[in-house]
Amino acid sequence: MASNFRAFGHKLWRTIASIQTGVVLLILVVILAAVGTVILQRPATEADEMQSAYSPHMLRILDSLGLTDVFHAWWFLGLLALVSVSIIAASIDRFPNSWRYFSRPYKYPDESFRRALRPQKSLAITDEESGLVAAERALHGMGYKPERVVREDHFGIFAERHRMSELAVYIVHASLLLIFFGTMVDGIWGWRGYLSLNEGQTSNQIEIHDGSKRTLPFAIRCDTAGQENYQDGTPKKWWSKLAVVESGRDVKTKEIVVNDPLLYNGVRFYQSSYGSNGKVNKLTMEATPSNGSGPKQSIALAVNESASLDADTTVRFAEFFPDFAVRNGEVYLKSNQLENPAAHLVVTSKAAGKSFDVWFPAMPEVADNSKAPYLLQATDLKMSHYTGLQVSHEPGQWGVWSGVVLMGVGLTFVFYVVHMRFWMVPVRDPRTGMWSLWIGGTANRNRDAFEQRFNELVESVEEELKLLAKTAPREQVTTIAGN
Amino acid sequence: MARAKAEPQQQPSTGMTLIVLVGLAITFLLLMALLNVAKSGNILGEENLLFAALIFYSGAGALYLGFGVTGTESYVKFASLATWLGLAANTAAIAHRWYESGHAPFSSVYEMLLSFVWTLAVLTLVAEKKYDVKVIGTVTMPVAIVGVVLMQLLRTEVHPLVPALQSTWLHVHVTLAMLAYAACALSFALALMFLIQDNLKTETVLAVTSASTVGVYASIVLTRFERGALNLVAWNPESKSEVFISRGVRLFVVVPDLGWLMMLTLLVVGSPLVFYGLARWKKNDSFLTLANRAVFLSILLQVMTLVMFLVRARDGRYPSLDADGLFPTNLAASPFILSGLVGGVFMSLLYLLLLWRRPDLSRLLPSSDNLDRITYKTICLAFPLLTLMIASGAYWANQTWGSYWSWDPKETWAAITWLVYALYLHMRITRGWRGRRAAYFAIGGFAVVMFTFFGVTYLLPGLHAYA
Repeated sequence: MASNFRAFGHKLWRTIASIQTGVVLLILVVILAAVGTVILQRPATEADEMQSAYSPHMLRILDSLGLTDVFHAWWFLGLLALVSVSIIAASIDRFPNSWRYFSRPYKYPDESFRRALRPQKSLAITDEESGLVAAERALHGMGYKPERVVREDHFGIFAERHRMSELAVYIVHASLLLIFFGTMVDGIWGWRGYLSLNEGQTSNQIEIHDGSKRTLPFAIRCDTAGQENYQDGTPKKWWSKLAVVESGRDVKTKEIVVNDPLLYNGVRFYQSSYGSNGKVNKLTMEATPSNGSGPKQSIALAVNESASLDADTTVRFAEFFPDFAVRNGEVYLKSNQLENPAAHLVVTSKAAGKSFDVWFPAMPEVADNSKAPYLLQATDLKMSHYTGLQVSHEPGQWGVWSGVVLMGVGLTFVFYVVHMRFWMVPVRDPRTGMWSLWIGGTANRNRDAFEQRFNELVESVEEELKLLAKTAPREQVTTIAGN
Repeated sequence: MARAKAEPQQQPSTGMTLIVLVGLAITFLLLMALLNVAKSGNILGEENLLFAALIFYSGAGALYLGFGVTGTESYVKFASLATWLGLAANTAAIAHRWYESGHAPFSSVYEMLLSFVWTLAVLTLVAEKKYDVKVIGTVTMPVAIVGVVLMQLLRTEVHPLVPALQSTWLHVHVTLAMLAYAACALSFALALMFLIQDNLKTETVLAVTSASTVGVYASIVLTRFERGALNLVAWNPESKSEVFISRGVRLFVVVPDLGWLMMLTLLVVGSPLVFYGLARWKKNDSFLTLANRAVFLSILLQVMTLVMFLVRARDGRYPSLDADGLFPTNLAASPFILSGLVGGVFMSLLYLLLLWRRPDLSRLLPSSDNLDRITYKTICLAFPLLTLMIASGAYWANQTWGSYWSWDPKETWAAITWLVYALYLHMRITRGWRGRRAAYFAIGGFAVVMFTFFGVTYLLPGLHAYA
């Protein structure tokens, strides 16, 4: 029973770790992701747009299957989790072998290996030592660090480069997992929202994208915000001067622009929009007494502000309509877009004990502007602006970025760093007693380029052998003398 | 330029006539180009530079094709020279635009195409010089030509960048994307070459090319046919943009008779496929001879349709079903129909090239093993570039919108492309996929790239607007 269970476990492991499983899972991801781009997706598309695009019946089916929000559906996230499991399993399954290969390099080729290896070459040498020396010199010349390997009574030379390349694929897989991990952390603990601030306003309430609210432990104040335009009127730059307010003190200030956010306590504030909020900052006007018996004065008012024009006359900015319509002598608010603005002012005269309505623009069917003791002329209307900030908290993004960097490194190793190994062994023919130098090499990728490299090495060894042959007699003399 | 290529095709008999014809066609093209450039005073304007690039690339394409057809080795030298000259003009156009706008030319589809074509030309020369794949230009140059033609049609004014696009990361992102896509295009061309060297049956190529052209015409007829006329998007010459009735809904004009012509061409283009089916079904090869004749006929008709389309849709005012009055249209309003038509002609011509010159091609191309390896190498180049492209895009998005990944269609399709090539690499490295299966995979991968590049921009929002 136990062995049965173990057999099943083993089989299950083999299935999970197999490349087929990984490939099938990846194909599923591809198909479902493609489906998610063809069918309209919920958070990005407005509800009424969805309703006009699909029939109610169809929409119900799509909604119940989660196809209108594929990328947040449990089955899609589950699939990504399965992909991670498959990557981990496949890596664990294959890693020990690679590690053995990596940690215990094969330095002395035995006979069967020597027979099978391609490319290989044999050069005639006069004696064992000269072969070894020539091999070492040639390898040094090509920038390798050759190693003399001793096996019982045999000598060999081993040199390699970029052994790391053998483990590169694990780096890539690990980096992918790191990225997945980062996004998972963000999915669970991260949030994204929106904050709209009028100039001068302070707030710590963030509208989260799912409709809920989040209160920050600190507040953000927008001091000023603005827009710069190109000559053709399209926006060139939006900026806002923000201050972080914590327990009544300004702890940080920054002028943010698009692409340059403010970061405080892991929360980022991005400039995302800018515009008029339909509210008046200041209405500037000129007032002249109707009877012509006084100087012209200039006054600027915000809504609900009043100013005195003379000792017993005041003017109050009563109402503002960004977009108005008149019906039956009444002024209505048509929309909050700054399309067709109207301002309502009230001039009060204590002497006459009366108030007079003044409208900009003049609306004879609502009120007669000329009845007021002062003639008012609007000269300028300054609207106040809001700045739109995207707010996000992504605690996992460090995982994502380090994963990306790691993947870059890993891919570089996978594709461009080749593990090259060379072996050279002086071999004595048992029949003739003649020495020859066996040279072999292998590379884990890019074999055709390696072959060229190998041929260069062989040529270089030949050169060194020739040089040695010329100088050999003298060297022998020194050795003898040394003895 | 279609004509220049059609001439050598129509005479399968080799010999001097052919060489003279190709030579004449190219001289004619070059002369026309020079006249055109000289006519407008500003010789080094961007338009002229692009036009020069187009001419040189076309010349290169014709010469590569001529080389494929006649096997005259000296053509290659001139083809390379023409590619170099085209590349020089292309580079100058990019530099000119860069200088004029003050930012690297990567902010619009037009500017991206500019860089894409440039990279493709560079890679073609590299493949030719380094890996000795001489005929690669027959596939890549037509792609480049379609690219430049599209560029001539798309709006070319330098636009100021909206705030979100003013980022170095965007430039990094788009440069990487173009490099990656060009590498993918090259791997596609190499995979095609491999299939030829791997003795893919000529009939199969016939079936595939015919099916593709049928696909082009069928989609045109299905979406735009209106009682014998052809629906085209109206074009506003002042604002240089399409005319919209309401948000996302374009105004269509009807161009009379063009619909029937498209229908007729669809039938003729489909006939080789029918004959191929008959040949397979009845096991009778004489139908294949008929099919080849039908391809020949279809090329003539396709060229005619293209010319008619060019003449009628270039400018002119046509009535609309949705609004009163006459509205202008322009080639720029229908870039996909135009590239479909040009692409169809190229595909059919490539088939004829294969049909008539297969032994020569086989002799000239590197061995199938080599092509297989070079295809793999190109993908090894494309894959890290794709990775970096996605990473830099995510970084840019994070800087701008506070989110590195939001599953928008472009992002999703970039990820799909990445996954497809990742699958290719896994199949190749761990399963030992070589040869034909790997080549099909490379071709499929490039199809996904094209969809990511064009399809997502033009088809998916369109789908969303009309659905």
